[in-house]
Amino acid sequence: MVELVPSLLRQELDRLAAEGQRIDGRGQFEGREVHLEVDCLYNAEGSAKVVWGDTIIYAGVKFEIRTPWPDRPTQGSLMCGAELRPVAHRKYEPGPPSPESIELGRVVDRGIRESGCIDMDELCIVPGEKVWGVMIDIHVLSDGGNIFDAAGLAAIAALRTAVVPAERFDVGEDHTLKVNGTPIMASFKRAGGRFVYDPSEEEELGGDERIHITLGDEGHLHSLQKGLKGVFTPDEFAEILAVAEQKCSELREMVAEKEGN
Amino acid sequence: MGGYGDVKLLREDGKRLDGRAIDEMRPVTIEAGVLPAADGSAMVTHGLNVAVAAVYGPMEAHPRKIQRQDRAVIDVRYNMAPFSTGDRIRPGFNRRSREISKVTAESLESVVLVERYPRSKIRVEIEILAAEAGTRCAGITAASVALADAGIPMRDMIVGVASGKIEDTVVLDLDKAEDNYGQADLPVGILPNTGEIAFLQMDGDLSIDEYNLAMEYNHKAAKEIHEIMVDALKRRYEGGEA
Repeated sequence: MVELVPSLLRQELDRLAAEGQRIDGRGQFEGREVHLEVDCLYNAEGSAKVVWGDTIIYAGVKFEIRTPWPDRPTQGSLMCGAELRPVAHRKYEPGPPSPESIELGRVVDRGIRESGCIDMDELCIVPGEKVWGVMIDIHVLSDGGNIFDAAGLAAIAALRTAVVPAERFDVGEDHTLKVNGTPIMASFKRAGGRFVYDPSEEEELGGDERIHITLGDEGHLHSLQKGLKGVFTPDEFAEILAVAEQKCSELREMVAEKEGN
Repeated sequence: MGGYGDVKLLREDGKRLDGRAIDEMRPVTIEAGVLPAADGSAMVTHGLNVAVAAVYGPMEAHPRKIQRQDRAVIDVRYNMAPFSTGDRIRPGFNRRSREISKVTAESLESVVLVERYPRSKIRVEIEILAAEAGTRCAGITAASVALADAGIPMRDMIVGVASGKIEDTVVLDLDKAEDNYGQADLPVGILPNTGEIAFLQMDGDLSIDEYNLAMEYNHKAAKEIHEIMVDALKRRYEGGEA
């Protein structure tokens, strides 16, 4: 099935692209509807649910106290991981983390880490002895395409609404985690020979390479990733980067709005 | 079960710490068809627990050695999300989740008409997003609704409910504190139309009379939850989208 369908799908995507169409009727850089909910899970110190078209992703933040690395005695740590569990799609099988889930977790991790939105020194409790380890877990419940953008959005929204559980660990009072910035990811996929924003499941199945761009509040790049087979030109990148700037701003506003509530 | 009698779990007025009567269950909400990628799905909130179930199939059973010539096999995975508990859980299977997965699968095999689908497999994925005592029961309830949502024929659904004992008193539906400091827990899966039991576990200390009372509470709660399950399925299909 997986061998035959993509080649038929590929022909269809080529045909549609020639007419300037997409398979679900969207414009080339038109995204699907996105719903964001924050603070939605009881035991997570920060949580978010993103419904992005047919994709549904939860992210949860947990804290632990650990010993700092000897060469960085005042710095805490941040880790973001993703699980593509078999719940999310019939294509996912049980077993150890797949290369795809590791890539997803690491690309989201880099965008957040490299934006500098978490000051690792702020995570220090006792220098050389106790620091906070912040863990963001991304849990994909339904893969309807473009899990990267949905995962990135869920992760930063969960992080930005997280409360450090200091009382539970007996190291002071609970306080909101300080997060200086809202890095947002925008993903593009070559489908029908040209790049489209926010690929659907069909476009992922019948397309070529994908590009993930994470932008910070100032519009700076914080993480880039090209995945799968294919090459692109500098002009193509310039075009999608301009689209990414606009999409990221819109989503950043959505996060700010949810935090306000 | 944890400590015995060292933590007060019943108030002066005979109510429980969260204000519930001894035979009162936590609020339950159910929604069917929540996951677009799945063939059938459901989300159950039971008190502070959140359980999501997805069903895929019937599909080809492989590797071939798991195939049964006369029936479908049901492959259940119960999994707790890393952020579902107080301390983060390392991702991956552990002994507890393996055991719960096994006995849940065996319960579901006793209600699904597995003989209709020889040599095939039905995948049931149970994900716990928030855990506050009672997740295996919420998972069974969610799995039943998800199977029905997938259109898989069953003799009956299974309702997951639990009763237990705190301070020598039998109570319905233990919460986290009661589970940690109580004296017994009796989670069961009940077929609401026949009253038969498809899932049974217990730990702690119960007299026969206490067991009978706990079961009486469980049967009463199962009827209530069953109505919510049926309601969720009706809502799913009344809208015209199937």
